[in-house]
Amino acid sequence: MLLSPATGGNLTLTQRDRRFGYLLTAPGLAVLLVVITFPLFFTVFTSFYDYTLLTPNHDTFIGGENYQEAADEEYLPGSLWVTVKFVLASVVIEFIIGFIVALSLNATDRFKTVYYLILLAPLLINPVVVGLLWRMLLHSELGIVNYAIGLVGIRPVSWLGDPTIAFWTVVLTDIWHQVSFMAILLLAGLAALPREPYEAARMDGASPLRCFFYITLPLMRPVIFVALLLRMIFAIKTFDIVFIMTKGGPGTATDIISYFIYRAAFFGLDIGRASAMAVGLLIIIIVLTALLYRYMRSLN
Amino acid sequence: MAEIGLRNLTKVYGQDVTAVDSIDLDVRDGEFMVLLGPSGCGKSTTLRMIAGLEAVTSGEIMIDGDVVNDVDPAERDLAVVFQNYALYPHMSVAGNLSFGLKLRKLPRDEIDRRIAATADMLGIGDLLKRRPRQLSGGQQQRVALGRALVRDPAAFLFDEPLSNLDAKLRAAMRTELIKLHRMLGKTIVHVTHDQVEAMTMGERICIMRDGRIVQVGPPLEVYRNPADTFVAGFLASPPMNLLDARLGGETGLDEVELPPVGLPLLARHKEALQGRAGGAITLGIRPEDLDVEPSAAQHAAMTVTVVAVEALGPEVILVGALPGGQEVSARLESDFAAPAGSEVQLHVDLERLHFFDTDTGRAVTAS
Ligand SMILES: Nc1ncnc2c1ncn2[C@@H]1O[C@H](COP(=O)(O)OP(=O)(O)OP(=O)(O)O)[C@@H](O)[C@H]1O
Ligand SMILES: [Mg+2]
Repeated sequence: MLLSPATGGNLTLTQRDRRFGYLLTAPGLAVLLVVITFPLFFTVFTSFYDYTLLTPNHDTFIGGENYQEAADEEYLPGSLWVTVKFVLASVVIEFIIGFIVALSLNATDRFKTVYYLILLAPLLINPVVVGLLWRMLLHSELGIVNYAIGLVGIRPVSWLGDPTIAFWTVVLTDIWHQVSFMAILLLAGLAALPREPYEAARMDGASPLRCFFYITLPLMRPVIFVALLLRMIFAIKTFDIVFIMTKGGPGTATDIISYFIYRAAFFGLDIGRASAMAVGLLIIIIVLTALLYRYMRSLN
Repeated sequence: MAEIGLRNLTKVYGQDVTAVDSIDLDVRDGEFMVLLGPSGCGKSTTLRMIAGLEAVTSGEIMIDGDVVNDVDPAERDLAVVFQNYALYPHMSVAGNLSFGLKLRKLPRDEIDRRIAATADMLGIGDLLKRRPRQLSGGQQQRVALGRALVRDPAAFLFDEPLSNLDAKLRAAMRTELIKLHRMLGKTIVHVTHDQVEAMTMGERICIMRDGRIVQVGPPLEVYRNPADTFVAGFLASPPMNLLDARLGGETGLDEVELPPVGLPLLARHKEALQGRAGGAITLGIRPEDLDVEPSAAQHAAMTVTVVAVEALGPEVILVGALPGGQEVSARLESDFAAPAGSEVQLHVDLERLHFFDTDTGRAVTAS
């Protein structure tokens, strides 16, 4: 056989294709293994040991003690509460704004590409950069925002200094960054909706508002569910913005769980306990992901 | 009950796509009107303008004498059955049927009564709990029809509702729709590009081409007297043979020449063709007016070379070439057989000849 490759032997075409596929993906998989799988298992493993930065080794197995300690952590409930508030606030507001934007874009024909580009721009920016950007814009003395509102006579606002305002500042920054994701996901869903039921509904005498509630919403349910869940999963892991903008402060106003864990590890220096909390967070995210996966499978 | 009138109705999409070009049409109260035409001729656009789903560019739509151009679709009291059914995918069959009634705030028991009656009439009583996805094409079609029927509108607009069905179901539904129309006596405008559907269902047919109406009339009349070569070539299958011919003979008006034959002209035809002596003419012969037997009262013979013989079962279509090279189809008895290349003599029914102006394609008739 002229074309028989050196490695081929008497493999079938599919087997050869598959082998070639593995070969091509091997470098990528190797990198993933190193940067994702290894840290993952390391974290789970470490969470059962008394591993601190003073004793950075796996000499002392302590079972569930880290988990116990984490659960007893005085500030953990507060941090969880901040996280829940943050996730709900940002996802709900993103959903409402995203849906309105998607509905209006879906009804537009002209300049669609331009709108898409504008919409996509924030998504292309790294979250760290987003955090830095807004920290500068909102700087209480040097920021342009305070300067601008000063022009119309509003006193400067301490965007990141006041606990309540700082929380909403972070939420709004996250919304600014992520709302496009929601809008584009919902827009894709809207664009894929059949046009005919709307015409039938017009003949049946349904007002636009009724069309929205009786046709659009029910038909969009799967997309809405997926969009909300996806954004929730991402929002729970938010770290960068908080790290850059507030470092969890002022006080514990923006101390969301991922930053809380980070502090336990690198300020509390207790890697074992931080690992235990990280594993807890991982479990929550896995449950949500499983839910998402099950739902998406049930759709087809 | 509703009369529908179209006055100079025009629809231009964007800047320059004229989908419907100033058409005039009157659909009588209780009439079954069929809009027939090839794909893209503007049938759906016309129907959608009547329904109110498409804005009118110019002209008027009248229902019972009132201009309804700016009346909301829901207020026109019309029901549409869409080509792809357009059922509400997330509602059950019962939900689909009741949606419009609920919006109109009918009392619950009235809604139930109507749904039961309609479901009964269409034989979809067992399907009421199902979703459209769980129905076959024919069942969905019935539900779409049912959704129009429960509303009890003044008139129905059908946009090719049968085109997605298989041949057998389509024939059955055709009969059903005719029965339904007879029972309800409501005005129906039915769009189709299927000439069999048009011939069998329509009380009148309106034939459209390129956004214009070419001819309106009862099916048989349109069949017998097509207004131009387009209608002649569109209606019936196989369509009318259209042959390039010339008027000739001693006076130039004695016969129509298809060299080497000359078919004698009847007095009636001579009258109609007055003033065209010796000129070019398009001769129309229906395949059913050609026969191997000299059966017609007035007939003439011509010889064709067999190109193909298509056995359709109850009949045979003979495709033959005239000496001049033009092809003709003839509809013959099912026992006819002849090898390709052989010569066959066909007899033309002279009473049934059609003449069209070669340049304009318009039928030449005594005026
Ligand atoms: N929304 C639209 N925008 C631009 N042009 C359109 C639009 N809808 C229809 N047209 C054009 O208008 C013409 C008539 O379309 P229409 O849908 O009425 O045809 P039709 O007779 O229903 O054809 P078919 O039998 O294929 O359904 C076509 O040339 C079509 O391309
Ligand atoms: Mg159409």
